[in-house]
Amino acid sequence: MSKRHPRETMTPRERVLAALYGKKTDRIPVGNPTSVATVECMEACGVYFPDAHLDAHKMATLAATGYEILGYDTIAPYFSVQQEAAAFGCEMTWGDIDAMPDVRKNPFNSPEEIEISGDFLERPATRTVIEAIRLLKKEYGDHVCLVGKVMGPWTLSYHLYGVQKLLMDTILDPAKVHGFMKKLKQVPVMFANAQLEAGADVVTLADHATGDLVGPNTYRDFLLPVHQEITPQIKGPAILHICGRTTDRMSHIAKAGFAAFHFDSKNDTLEAKTIAAREGLLLVGNINNPDVLYAGTPEDVKKRVFEAAEAGIEIIGPECAVPLRTPNANLKAVVEAVREYCFR
Amino acid sequence: MSVLLQIQEATIGGRAEEAVALVKEAIAGGLTPEVIIQDGFIAAMAVVGEKFKNHEIFVPEMLVAARAMQFGISQLEPYMVSGERTYLARIVLGTVKGDLHDVGKNLVGMMLQGNGAEIIDLGVDVSTDAFVRAVEEHKPQFLGLSSLLTTTMPVLGQVIDALEAAGLRDKVKVLVGGAPVSQQFAEKIGADGYARDAISAVDLVKRMVAAG
Repeated sequence: MSKRHPRETMTPRERVLAALYGKKTDRIPVGNPTSVATVECMEACGVYFPDAHLDAHKMATLAATGYEILGYDTIAPYFSVQQEAAAFGCEMTWGDIDAMPDVRKNPFNSPEEIEISGDFLERPATRTVIEAIRLLKKEYGDHVCLVGKVMGPWTLSYHLYGVQKLLMDTILDPAKVHGFMKKLKQVPVMFANAQLEAGADVVTLADHATGDLVGPNTYRDFLLPVHQEITPQIKGPAILHICGRTTDRMSHIAKAGFAAFHFDSKNDTLEAKTIAAREGLLLVGNINNPDVLYAGTPEDVKKRVFEAAEAGIEIIGPECAVPLRTPNANLKAVVEAVREYCFR
Repeated sequence: MSVLLQIQEATIGGRAEEAVALVKEAIAGGLTPEVIIQDGFIAAMAVVGEKFKNHEIFVPEMLVAARAMQFGISQLEPYMVSGERTYLARIVLGTVKGDLHDVGKNLVGMMLQGNGAEIIDLGVDVSTDAFVRAVEEHKPQFLGLSSLLTTTMPVLGQVIDALEAAGLRDKVKVLVGGAPVSQQFAEKIGADGYARDAISAVDLVKRMVAAG
């Protein structure tokens, strides 16, 4: 899969970066700014979850299968959304071969209780990601696009304080929510810059202010000002990831200073692209995970990829981190379909 | 404005303390708990549900409204003779093994409770065995399963298979939900119903109860 198609003139890295800077590409890049690690990939490379979350060599080995086995233009070693939470000392469940890690308890009750210590990036969960990128940079750095990942202050607040409490406090105690955002905004900046310095070409910033939970005004009032502060401080291109419905807030997102937005299949692709084009926002996504990639066939995948390509999505890939039991055949079908579409 | 309308407004606005004070006022004024629940809180949540469907409000507004309702209804408990309440249905709820997300499941529970269902909430990360045991023990009409992660979605099907293996599948209607779950997926795994959000879950349960 990773072999170059005869009509490809760019390296995967050149292709993704050209797309992110709005330049011409030899074909639409295929990438997932979140994760494409699957159980099949684990079996192929001999590295399994949960080990891969806390061992840099294992993390790098498994992440590389995204390019080596699936043929994607990106390699993204931070698989879950919980490395920072672990570094903050949250009680974790590290999951299983087919289960992502998660936080067991949300330990902090107020922004004041949170301490961001000087060694935050030296802790096992954060250090592993930085170290894995350094290893990948040596092996793939001039050829494949290396994607780092950080959690934004909103998602960190979910993990550190609790989703339900945070959501309710947007109404009952908005000052507290602003307090969490203010306290935590430095975390993605320092973690992103450490990953960029280690060799990442781009970082994903996941901040799940999804339409499945909150309205567009929540993004505008609580996240946008903070994102506008964060993005200029990140020393490289950043892709915002928010799953679920987001078309109603894309015009706000466009003002936040991200290089691109990774969006979900719950949004109508054409509608999203229309808004994004008007606002000057590049889009990454949005092949459906549960019904198409996980439960569908390569033929279903091809149909969805063609729709995304037809709509003008700049980088095509799964909408979110893929279900771990997703068949590799369906993930490879994304690359095959993009080649077929672009080189027909 | 009548006290019932005031209860509705306080609930819709998520003002729990105000709802509690108004319930006391309503009881002092001679209204029965049933009237207060039905024409105060359930009426308010119907408005909240409508606004949610129209994307005028989102989960935070629903959560604070449901909280106000819970606070208000809890004030009524001393006035309700035990055994007096007939429930819409008994429902066992939980988030499946490997999944720690509970906001959606909690909201479904609160909304159903507000609409007269008896809720037995097993919490999050509930093992398949625990679901089977709860169905055996509580004999609910419905089992509500939640999964937020694409990685735990397959577990929904595993619970249904386990009910089958335990000979309990025809004793309970299985409803599934959660962000990545779809009607298509629900049908594929043999669930009896799917609801995309807490409001639809209430509608679905009411419809299925009415249909017998």
